[in-house]
Amino acid sequence: MSDSSKDHWYPVGLLSDIYTPRQTLLFDQEISLTHDDTGFVVKKSGGVSLPTIERFGHLWTSLGQPDHDLFVIPEADTPGRHLVDVGSVKVKCSPLRAVENFLDIAHFPFIHTDILGAEPHTEVDRYKVEIREGVNEVWATKVKFFQPQAAKSAEGGIITEYMYRVPAPTCAVLYKTCPPRPKEWDIITLFVQPLTEEWCEVWPWMALYDDDSTMAEMVSFQQLIFMQDRSILENQIPLKLPLDPGMETPTQADMTSVAYRRWLKRIGYSYGAQMVAA
Amino acid sequence: MTRLWGIVLNWIAVGLAEDIPVGTVVPRRVDGLDLAIWRSGLGRFHAWDDRCPHRGMRLSHGFVRGEVLACVYHGWQYNLDGACDYIPAHPDLTPPKTICANTYVCETRNQALWVALGTVNGDVPDIGDRIPIRSLDISCGAPAIARYFDHPQDPLIVLRGKYDLAIALQPSTSRSCFAHVFAGAGQDKKIVSRYVEKLRDELEAA
Ligand code: FES
Ligand SMILES: [Fe+2]
Repeated sequence: MSDSSKDHWYPVGLLSDIYTPRQTLLFDQEISLTHDDTGFVVKKSGGVSLPTIERFGHLWTSLGQPDHDLFVIPEADTPGRHLVDVGSVKVKCSPLRAVENFLDIAHFPFIHTDILGAEPHTEVDRYKVEIREGVNEVWATKVKFFQPQAAKSAEGGIITEYMYRVPAPTCAVLYKTCPPRPKEWDIITLFVQPLTEEWCEVWPWMALYDDDSTMAEMVSFQQLIFMQDRSILENQIPLKLPLDPGMETPTQADMTSVAYRRWLKRIGYSYGAQMVAA
Repeated sequence: MTRLWGIVLNWIAVGLAEDIPVGTVVPRRVDGLDLAIWRSGLGRFHAWDDRCPHRGMRLSHGFVRGEVLACVYHGWQYNLDGACDYIPAHPDLTPPKTICANTYVCETRNQALWVALGTVNGDVPDIGDRIPIRSLDISCGAPAIARYFDHPQDPLIVLRGKYDLAIALQPSTSRSCFAHVFAGAGQDKKIVSRYVEKLRDELEAA
């Protein structure tokens, strides 16, 4: 199978961090980030410059030949949102496992207990999942789940509605009911930088309507959530994401994960994936 | 029967019974294979693959609720046979029988805990009326340890001697072992424990 993994855009740093040179990895290769009068410069270790895009508070690059622009999130441009750079967390797991976990709600009562979910409210109702052909993205809509504290600005339990979108293989966008503005969606994203097939750097980013919390509070809330997820991600066997059915057991609540895996297979994405049953 | 480094081991020691309290689950590794060993509310021991059939989470991170083991990730519950009998995301569903943790035979005999990774063959090794001392991590392969004591490689190395020692080996990787140590009834645990530490240092130096 020809592998399309490198022909996508990947987040490699924060735009707000421009004066700190950064050495990092992308697809096992060393790259460096610096900044000069012309802007950001990303180079491979041999000195070859790589293309860059500045978007969503992050610097993006590619080692391959992307035949498309980086996706957009038009809703994030609406005025009044706080754009929150959360920073990054390194996780010893496949980049694809990190995305799949982000698409999962059934773990909320167990891993984000009393924050994003709580027993006995564990049931996941049927929701809608599709691979949107034109844009070639995975979407899950009409996802509803009980949350004891849906966001920093939410008090008491409510039924929260979500939409999940996978616009690129290692990126996921979550649209979520916004307590202060019932007609709008809060936006929480997970941008994942593949360091190796079993090691990734995760860059959450948010565009929120929240006038009660400070920036620091919004950041630490999201960091707490992600630390809880990390305890899972580093302990799944195998660390890579199995794409062949048979090794793991999805149920109806896992429809998003099933679609995500199927889509990865269809677009020929194999970096961080396990193709044969171990 | 399990073949490790060319020899056949029927039973492999995985610990001292007293180190796994009722209602807990711990990870154990045998020749690179990750096991979750848990002890139900009624005290029965179970050895399963340390991997939840749902999404691969280590079951050793889960929690014991009476006679079931629950996975920490999505709370799926597995009964004593390893069969999944409750999926919290679908509380009204009876899970299909095919959803099942991979289980092994696990037995205790006189305070020692043993698993059979393959077909059970032969009796559970007998440590006699010895008492459990402790488990030690040794950076040495099991064959090297057996050779050191001039003992045929066996899951149980009976040394006798001053403390009436018996050592049950758990090969964790090709170059490391857990030694589960037992000594004659009436021996002083502290003294024997210090003695086996010295033994470990000698083994690792040899
Ligand atoms: S991985 Fe165990 S319940 Fe989901
Ligand atoms: Fe999570």
